[in-house]
Amino acid sequence: MEPRYVHPGRLRRAAATFFDKYHMIAGNNDLNIQTWLEEHGDYLFNYGLLRVKNTHVAEDLVQETLLAAISAKNTFSHQSTIRTWLIGILKHKLIDHFRRHGREVAVGDLIDQDEEDNLDNFFRANGRWIEKPEAFPNPESVFQQKEFWKIFQECLSGLKPKQAEVFLAKEIHGMSNEDVCKDFALSPTNAWVIMHRARLSLIKCLKINWID
Amino acid sequence: MLNCKQASQLASRSMDEKLPLWKNMTLQMHLILCRSCTNFTRQLYFLRKASRRSKTNLDFQLTDEARQRIANALKDMQNG
Repeated sequence: MEPRYVHPGRLRRAAATFFDKYHMIAGNNDLNIQTWLEEHGDYLFNYGLLRVKNTHVAEDLVQETLLAAISAKNTFSHQSTIRTWLIGILKHKLIDHFRRHGREVAVGDLIDQDEEDNLDNFFRANGRWIEKPEAFPNPESVFQQKEFWKIFQECLSGLKPKQAEVFLAKEIHGMSNEDVCKDFALSPTNAWVIMHRARLSLIKCLKINWID
Repeated sequence: MLNCKQASQLASRSMDEKLPLWKNMTLQMHLILCRSCTNFTRQLYFLRKASRRSKTNLDFQLTDEARQRIANALKDMQNG
């Protein structure tokens, strides 16, 4: 068999892309503890806040999580991103917190199963809306009102854990589709099913508590 | 023709990625004829605006004091 000729430039480029990619992945997961608070603090805080609904408790949980992460940093495997790993630790801190307060919380309540593609709460069997969407008020005037933000937060808290996580990462913390899929180990189809359900639920919740 | 369930799924998906041309056309056709789904599309934009805005809303971020407190605790631990 004739060996196939490959232009050396092409080989060099391929090697360069490979190393770029490798560095990108390694760089993202750099165990640079100083940056954890900077990069993931708000996200952890938000995530905790949605569960415990108390600013001070949520702040303490961020601290506990990061402290635990530092002492456990050798257990970090590069299979997941730092953020996913930190959220995993936070979930256990949340379970401890609820246990201390006499509320048994099953791990399953925080780490829920895969979403099924079930939209029966919103659509009839023939695919029509059960409740027809109506026009929302002008966002600018709504956003001025403190009460709205309280309700918005409540509604986020009411989402299923997976929906809340993905929605928070994507819509509030601006994570790209690609990163969301990688971070939460979702196929693109799964990701948009989860997003769609989260949006339908949030809109319904806002409508009931704010508009009506 | 799409029904509302399918149209709403496409509308939601179009917030995250560019729809294939044909899918986008069928969605637009549906939206011309359906007020409910047009309203839903507007609600999606409302939700996106609210989400983006919520990050700068104070309740959704660590305060500077809290951040400093946590940073100190982390430093203590690493030194100690």
